[in-house]
Amino acid sequence: MLDGSLLVQMLIGALLGLSVYLPLAAGQLSLATPGFMTVGGYVAALLSTRVAALGGAEPLYPLPSLLLELLLAAVVALALALLVGLPVLRLRGIYLAIATIALNEILRVVLLNNSWTGGAVGIFAIPQPFGDPLGYLAALAVLLLLAGATCQAIARHPLGRAMAAVRDDELAASCTGIDSFRIKLLAFAASAVLAALTGVLAAHFFNTWNARQGSFDASITTLAFVVFGGSRHWLGPVLGGLVLTALPELLRPVGDLRLVVFGAVILLGPLLFPQGVVTPALLQRLLP
Amino acid sequence: MDVLLQILVNGLSVGAVYALFALGYTLVFSVLGVINFAHGALFTLGAYLTYLGVGGAVGSNGALAGWALPLALPFPVALLLAGVGCAGANLLVEAVAFRPLRRRHAEPLLYLITSLGAGVVLVNLLQIAFGAEGYALPADALGDLPPMLTLAGARLRSVQLLLLLVCAAVMTVLTLWLERSRGGRALQAVSEDATTARLLGIDSDAMVRLSFALSGLLAGLSGGLVGLSVSIAGPYFGIVYGLKGLGVLVLGGLGSVPGALLGGLVVGLAEAAVPGDLSGLKDAVAFAFLFAILLLRPQGLLGRAPITKV
Repeated sequence: MLDGSLLVQMLIGALLGLSVYLPLAAGQLSLATPGFMTVGGYVAALLSTRVAALGGAEPLYPLPSLLLELLLAAVVALALALLVGLPVLRLRGIYLAIATIALNEILRVVLLNNSWTGGAVGIFAIPQPFGDPLGYLAALAVLLLLAGATCQAIARHPLGRAMAAVRDDELAASCTGIDSFRIKLLAFAASAVLAALTGVLAAHFFNTWNARQGSFDASITTLAFVVFGGSRHWLGPVLGGLVLTALPELLRPVGDLRLVVFGAVILLGPLLFPQGVVTPALLQRLLP
Repeated sequence: MDVLLQILVNGLSVGAVYALFALGYTLVFSVLGVINFAHGALFTLGAYLTYLGVGGAVGSNGALAGWALPLALPFPVALLLAGVGCAGANLLVEAVAFRPLRRRHAEPLLYLITSLGAGVVLVNLLQIAFGAEGYALPADALGDLPPMLTLAGARLRSVQLLLLLVCAAVMTVLTLWLERSRGGRALQAVSEDATTARLLGIDSDAMVRLSFALSGLLAGLSGGLVGLSVSIAGPYFGIVYGLKGLGVLVLGGLGSVPGALLGGLVVGLAEAAVPGDLSGLKDAVAFAFLFAILLLRPQGLLGRAPITKV
């Protein structure tokens, strides 16, 4: 049941959960994680299928080319995040949530209507840098470890405290000299880059890529990861992504009800478990 | 000239739907200061209820396959009942997704998440019951009205005219009610300052419920009308309108009733003006406006700039 392919998808879920968590730790809801993942995936899909020079002579897609894709995807996502974040994050409140929905929709419409990106069909036959799921597992695990270690470092750093201060009360945080705009922008940009990097690996893994990856459903699913796991510690969204990705596969009969279950998690989670499954109190007990 | 007039007619009738949508968001926003993300799902519910009301049967993919009401109501009756049903459903959304958070004085972000969850649950329950296929309301639902009218060279479907009339009527009644009646003024008082309103003897909880019921009614009416006008494209079609409605809402200004109308008409006209060979990009128009307004005038066309108190 727990085959390599499911494990790869679980790690992708954990990374996307972290991407939603980062802005949320600064009190901002971004629903554009699937959008940025879509962008990252398209960068990988376009480069690896259209640029022959990156392909190399071996049957497997060369790793340096993969690294180049990761770098480019990060740059593109960063630029896009700044484009959206610079005007929107100067405003307080729910504007980022609405603007990220708008970004998802604009991306979807543009990608669907552009023959250059394969239109509605998307891009097929994306070359494989790894021979089996184990390679993808390793690459995603490295990315997850790096992202987790960064989150852990941030939490202990003044930056993490500033993010928590902005989340709890943006106005009060500004009064103590915290540049809340910069903090929010940083968190949003980090979220975008992480989602895009995940998208690069996901596009190679799935072998095909299209605009449906960034649908509204995907926004709901990734949000459920964080609401379920908890947004007070980075382990929360990781656990949420792992468990909620595996859940529909492990409980086959739930098939049709998948989104009802995710919807119920989002609806009832904040009411019943406001801090999610992984709470700071729980971690303190487990890791003395 | 005729082309311009046609664009104007099409744009206004689409814009009227967006305006009704944004108005539904606005009613709740002006009282609670939060957005009810389940609004699009209620719109879908309204369309399906209207379809059932006029005697439509459930298709073969749903859990209720083949089921239909034993009677077929006239369209206006079915539409009104659907509106009432959606008002009830929105009261349920308020009770489950909003009231517990309000009791706890939770942060606005959480309302957004829970109402999104309520919408997702509702849409997917509809999908299980009705299947993912599209439904079309019977073409003769409007009875003896001719399907197409010609006005000074522009062609207008009766249902488009009906949409415009309903939108104008709802706008007028709502504005008069808000400005002139005791209930409407009480609602405005709560939106201005809930605590002071309570001190003045206004039952603010009742006002919140009233705003949800009215907003649900609007969602149900517009869902049924759009279902008749362009058919129901599946359970998610309300979500698409709901997302565009958000763009309209921000364009007009959060919490502004005339802003919702103006925003709806601007987006409707702009979409109608998109040339045919670029029609695929039509769905991005509302969101392009959203970004433009956030850059140029974040409070929206007719919104008040928020005053931040320290």
